[in-house]
Amino acid sequence: MAGAVGGTLLSPLPWKLTDDAAIWSQNWFWRPSPARGEITRKPTVCALCEGGCGVQARLVDGKRAILLEGNPNHPVNQGGICALGAAGLQFLYAPYRIAQPLKQTKRRGDPTGFQPIAWNEAVGELAKKLGQMRADGKPNGLAGITRRRCSSMDALLNQFFAAYGSPNLFKMPAHADSLKLAGAVTTGREAPFGCNIEDAPYILSFGAGLVEGWGSPGRMQAAFRRWRQGGKSAAKIVQVDSRCSTTAAMADRWIAVPPGTEAALALGIAHLMVKDKLYDAEFMADRVFGFEDWTDSQGKNHKGFKFLVQTDAYTPEAISKLTGVDPAKIRELAKEFGTQKGAVAVWGQPQGSVPKDMYNELSFLALNALKGNIKAGGAIGLAPEVPLGALPELPGDPSALKGLKQLRLDLASSQKGPPPVLPGNNLHGFLDAVSNGGKYPIEVMLVHEANPAYGLCENKLFQQALTKIGTLVSLSSYMDETAQQADLILPIHTAFEGFDDVIGIPGAPYAYYGVCAPVLKPHLNTKAAGDIVMSVAKQLGGSIAAALPWASHEEYLKKRAEGLAASARGALADKKGVELWKLQPEEAVKPNYKDGADLWKKLAGGACWYDAPVDPLKDLKTESGKFELAAQLLLAKGQTGDDDQVYLPHFSQVPPRGSDKDYPLLLVTYQMSALADRDLANPPFMTKTVFDFILRQNDQFVEINPATASELGMAEGDSAVLKTPQGEVPVRVHLYAGARPKVVYLAQGLGHKAYDEYIKDKGVNANGVVEVQLDRVTGLGTVWAARAHLRRA
Amino acid sequence: MKEENKSASGKVVGGVVFAVGFIGALVFGWVIGPDLLYSQKAQPINFSHVAHQDTTCEDCHAFRPDGTYVGIPKIDKCKECHESQMGQEKSEQILVDEYIQKEREVPWLVYAWQPDNVFFSHAPHQAKGVKCESCHRPVKEEKVVPYFYENRLTGYSKSTMKMVDCEKCHAEQNGSNNCEICHK
Repeated sequence: MAGAVGGTLLSPLPWKLTDDAAIWSQNWFWRPSPARGEITRKPTVCALCEGGCGVQARLVDGKRAILLEGNPNHPVNQGGICALGAAGLQFLYAPYRIAQPLKQTKRRGDPTGFQPIAWNEAVGELAKKLGQMRADGKPNGLAGITRRRCSSMDALLNQFFAAYGSPNLFKMPAHADSLKLAGAVTTGREAPFGCNIEDAPYILSFGAGLVEGWGSPGRMQAAFRRWRQGGKSAAKIVQVDSRCSTTAAMADRWIAVPPGTEAALALGIAHLMVKDKLYDAEFMADRVFGFEDWTDSQGKNHKGFKFLVQTDAYTPEAISKLTGVDPAKIRELAKEFGTQKGAVAVWGQPQGSVPKDMYNELSFLALNALKGNIKAGGAIGLAPEVPLGALPELPGDPSALKGLKQLRLDLASSQKGPPPVLPGNNLHGFLDAVSNGGKYPIEVMLVHEANPAYGLCENKLFQQALTKIGTLVSLSSYMDETAQQADLILPIHTAFEGFDDVIGIPGAPYAYYGVCAPVLKPHLNTKAAGDIVMSVAKQLGGSIAAALPWASHEEYLKKRAEGLAASARGALADKKGVELWKLQPEEAVKPNYKDGADLWKKLAGGACWYDAPVDPLKDLKTESGKFELAAQLLLAKGQTGDDDQVYLPHFSQVPPRGSDKDYPLLLVTYQMSALADRDLANPPFMTKTVFDFILRQNDQFVEINPATASELGMAEGDSAVLKTPQGEVPVRVHLYAGARPKVVYLAQGLGHKAYDEYIKDKGVNANGVVEVQLDRVTGLGTVWAARAHLRRA
Repeated sequence: MKEENKSASGKVVGGVVFAVGFIGALVFGWVIGPDLLYSQKAQPINFSHVAHQDTTCEDCHAFRPDGTYVGIPKIDKCKECHESQMGQEKSEQILVDEYIQKEREVPWLVYAWQPDNVFFSHAPHQAKGVKCESCHRPVKEEKVVPYFYENRLTGYSKSTMKMVDCEKCHAEQNGSNNCEICHK
């Protein structure tokens, strides 16, 4: 025995085994090991959001994507990348991707009922159904919801719906919806406003989530780098926000106001600027209509903004009562903003997914107008059009015209009060009409790249509408909450697998176009959404097929780019150093591409096209030919009210449903850069960056002020039930001094009921407890707060 | 006295048992054990380096333009010559029928496979004049590829170079032995 021990000890065996055991313990089977091979980099444009960032994928042997990083040569993000982008490749290989077309064979929503079906059968089934509806003279029974708004896919769907004969195509709501209509009201152009924020020396932000993304996270990262480089502070940022958000924490100054009163403070500042003559008088006199009292086409006199804003409602004392901000502080802010050259006011959420009240939009615009920001060379501009190749004109097919003659369902079936005078993308109104048995039934609903069953504010509205919809067809890459409810699933490529494009950067004043070329071949049996729509059109034949004549989605995008080249405008940015914010309005940018083929090649290679901003006051289509502070469009459309303020920016707030007694608190939801909201679920890598005082295991925390917590008798980490008139959810409590007393803050983007174990049942869905208020002017579903009650669980 | 006798003979027996155990363990530890630790695996098909003498080493084992090393070439490289069969060899026939025609990669077993926690680049070693044979077996005269011995515990190749070998050479050549040189 002793000999064996001695002999063994003198042999290499024990040492070798110890070494190998150590290596063995480092190689558990679940340890990820990247594939080996030739590493290449393929630049493209990210299609995960509308931010238009240039990214590059690192690939192994051109087949396996292992890293997504910012493209340093791209002028928008300049090498930066957001949390969603950095984790974006996980969507490609996610277990919840849909591998082939599926048909529901049992009851709707039964996960065991999905049966694989061949592509030609699936498309054929949809085409047959749509063909039958058209033959029956009911093409308006088709509805659609898409997430894509700044993309050629949007134009393609519009074309398909128009050729088919349905007016019921909607987009997931966005801030751009109300901004566009504010553009229509003030300038006659239905385009969203953009801001040259990079060069602004002073930014007065009314709740704008600048650090959290503000339309284009990559652009905002680059802007922050510019402002804060080398410890310098090139831009002073004043954040008006009810909660100490990341932006508020990084700002030079945080002005805490109650939720929803930001516009009141803006008008309070406007009051002082007018009173103390701190506004651009020349601009207001020459280019703005409705600052002074005005007379309409009927000869009736109306009060102007100058009068309205000087009334007692907007004195520092009155505003102080509303906002809790000291009158002296309001005076100081007004003086700072009024005297600082180039100061600009901005507003809007991080991911821009909720429209704002029209009068809110107009109030912030009025503040910028007083500063003279809305003119050529000013900080605020209107998003320019990108002159892409046009789609074929529609021949005016009688069956389609018959369907299009029908009013859009939300307008045809308005049940509560008069319809909005300036109706926008009223998805909420539409779903409400469907649920309440609108004027005509919706037989087929197409949902493209969107997840309204989870992500629509007051998402139960979608569920209710669904019970009245004949067939739900999902064009999704993932088995999300909406796809689970579908009767037919036509799975599409994810970003990075198929061709797509981005038209314009939300919030930017310059023109932009980027092509999202695939970085690798699709690895599942999926198709490009454009190709699916085109093959349905082909099967329907006739005028519908003629309206979508391209062989593939790629060819369609190529034709769009050829049209762009034919305009001989703009240039390509394919190397470092292009500073888009330095472009002057109407500046002639010299094209640096040869022809359509050359432009396409470079766009597909990851370069982007850009052009100078436009002069927002050029060719104004308003009745007065000026920027209209007094909205004659609203008057023309029949907007009525007790006094002249209905045509002017003013502050009013519709109180949330429920009573103070039952719901003593307010619920405000917020977005953060570590949580993808709405249509995309958080990839696991991204969830790793969520603080454990927001999400711990499956528990989500609400933020409340320590004072509120002590009134409620609650301590850090306590379990509670959050109740609003819309519903109740279990939460835990996090004490946060940056939370306003009496307000409960809940992060958006959690609480999924689909996907995989890393997403499902983690936290609660904020969309189920928020309150949607339909804007009186536009009918858009706005959200500011809900009444809430928090009790110990 | 009996006890003493017993003790003397016991010592002899004990000594023999000890020696048997000692030698047995040594034989097991040095000769048998290491073989038991590895499973012997054959390459999917034979590759004869001798049969490829009409090409240079660099035709297949080249550096890419970005400085990375291709290692064992991919099927596309084989396809350049073997799109259809050139000779009578059985292994070539399998290569053409099973891999090239079906567009599959040959799952070669790599003798010098390094684990993921090591960053190894051929380029600086080549620049320093380190010969291929310093680390890899000489292949010029090789007609039949050797078996691949896989460690049953770790899954690594028997010829995977250990850290001590790297360190030794780095020390001798005045190369840095800082951790981050290899563990990036």
